[in-house]
Amino acid sequence: MLQNIPIQRKLMTVNLLTSGAVLLLTCLAFFGYEVLTFRQATVQRLSTLGKIISANSTAALAFDDSDVANEILAALKAEPRIVAAGLYGTTGKLFAQYPVNSPASTFPSAPEQDGYHFERGHLAGFQPVMQSGRRLGTLYMEYDMGAMYEQLWRRGEIAALVMGVSLLTAYLLSRTLQKQISMPILALAETAHAVSKQRDFSVRAVKFGEDELGLLTDAFNQMLAEIQKLNATLEERVRERTGQLEIANKELEAFSYSVSHDLRAPLRHVDGFVDLLRKQSAEKLDDRGRRYLDIIAASARQMGTLIDDLLVFSRMSRGDLRRSKVASESLVHEVRDALQGEARGRVVWKIDSLPQVEADAAMLRQVWANLIGNAMKYSRTRDPAKIEIGCDTVNDEFVFFVRDNGVGFDMQYVDKLFGVFQRLHRADEFEGTGIGLANVRRIVSRHGGRTWAESKVDGGATFFFSLPKTPAETKG
Amino acid sequence: MAVLSTFTNRWVDYSLKMLFRGWFVMSVLLFASGLDLRAQTTREYEVKAAFLNDFAQFVEWPADAFVGVKSPIVIGILGDDPFGDSLGEIVRDENVDNRPVVIGRYQRVQDIKACQILFISQSENKRLEEIFAGLKDRSILTVGDFDGFTKRGGMIRFVTEKNKIRFRINVEAAKTANLTISSKLLRLAEIITPGKD
Repeated sequence: MLQNIPIQRKLMTVNLLTSGAVLLLTCLAFFGYEVLTFRQATVQRLSTLGKIISANSTAALAFDDSDVANEILAALKAEPRIVAAGLYGTTGKLFAQYPVNSPASTFPSAPEQDGYHFERGHLAGFQPVMQSGRRLGTLYMEYDMGAMYEQLWRRGEIAALVMGVSLLTAYLLSRTLQKQISMPILALAETAHAVSKQRDFSVRAVKFGEDELGLLTDAFNQMLAEIQKLNATLEERVRERTGQLEIANKELEAFSYSVSHDLRAPLRHVDGFVDLLRKQSAEKLDDRGRRYLDIIAASARQMGTLIDDLLVFSRMSRGDLRRSKVASESLVHEVRDALQGEARGRVVWKIDSLPQVEADAAMLRQVWANLIGNAMKYSRTRDPAKIEIGCDTVNDEFVFFVRDNGVGFDMQYVDKLFGVFQRLHRADEFEGTGIGLANVRRIVSRHGGRTWAESKVDGGATFFFSLPKTPAETKG
Repeated sequence: MAVLSTFTNRWVDYSLKMLFRGWFVMSVLLFASGLDLRAQTTREYEVKAAFLNDFAQFVEWPADAFVGVKSPIVIGILGDDPFGDSLGEIVRDENVDNRPVVIGRYQRVQDIKACQILFISQSENKRLEEIFAGLKDRSILTVGDFDGFTKRGGMIRFVTEKNKIRFRINVEAAKTANLTISSKLLRLAEIITPGKD
């Protein structure tokens, strides 16, 4: 029940509850003891008094002299708390009484068992009147405990007052003393709060003393210092590494660009001269020679495509993103129409309505071209081939997908799918350079999205990519 | 005349009636009081018997008054016994300081051997001085219930006051006989010094 209240209140509550309980128990024990001993003493006193009265009244009882018996009982007026006393003869009849003029209903009609008992603020009881071992009668006495209870009540009031004052003192003391514990903790908590909220690791908690809390404060400050140091060096190191990586990456890109670019010139020579050779000397060559020429020409063309793709890839990596609103649906239709060509009528298309996104239009066209092209390529063997394009909204992302019923792939190699030059199919089965999906991944990740795929061998494949609804500025 | 005679007749009638009624009431009262007197006497001696027995508890005898430690306390009756069976009933199973209580009946003072309480019957009134002379130097508590008993040297005399049995005690006589009477008992009694009864 104390779990969620502030530590200052907690400490004070604990203090007050403890001291209150102790005080209360002490008072109760004291009072219990007081009442018990007081009662015992009263019984003792009354029975002693009774013995004296009994001893004095034996003759009066024996010789049936109630006047004298009344006189003897009248001596009890020395003790004003005795409200009634009576002597009963052996026959059980009331023989003498005190006070003399009190009505008979004041007394029990007949003696009861010997002994005293408390009832309704009175102590009353019977004791035997004996003479030489012979019972001559019974003495009844009634003692008013009211005065005693009044006294106890007054003591109770005093005790309550003392308790009140003690609790007040305890409250005031604990209000001051609890600061010894709560202040360092509060200071620590405040510092921790400042650190976690403002990420300011330069603040330090104030130390109040050399106790455990002082140790805790020291340890906390030490940790802060450590974090501050680590933070500083970490930022330094990250900056350093990032710089190195950027340089390395730029060099690599420049290298691959220039290599691709420089490779084109000799390739163009090969292509051109193969062309010339075919035009001028085709008749001089036999069939085998002409076939060789065809192979050389095809290889050169393939290499050309490869170089073009590589150049696109490196351009995609380097160029700045030029974001604009792109209507995905019309873009997809355009791309499909452009690619359809020979496949017209062979593929059954299902294109859902697609959202508008904010992206680089040219790059996004590249993504769709790659994914749709792949879907058409790998479903070539199917009749009819089915290609489904759609979009789901998951949290704050659009998740686009392209699903085909083509040959699919083994999920075991899904990690390699989006790597450069990674191919899961042989080139004589399905042509390709192994750069397309790497390009897709590069573009999507530059837009702050992700790419993944699901498939089963011969069970078709689904390629997904996500784009954030509200694009964040990404470097890259 | 007629009126007068009627009046006279009526008066005589009334007087006779009243006389008869008075006689009836008187005789009933007399009869009842006679019954009451007899019953009263019986009850009186029952109470006295009980008191005789109770004296044993409030009087201390010197050790030589008993033959032995366990010898009984003897309540003696000298002369006619007015108690009937009541005293015998009372002392039966009685025990004072480990001593049983027994009754001794005597006609002559010389017959009295061991005795602690002696009730001297009214029949001995004339011989009282002789009896006391015979009991001289003996620790016997003498009890009587007739006029002049304490005055003439008796120790305790029963008197009837307001329908209650009270007693007078001649402390001097008891002291002379070496008896100690409890103050509790003395408190209930009228103390008598001889020469004034």
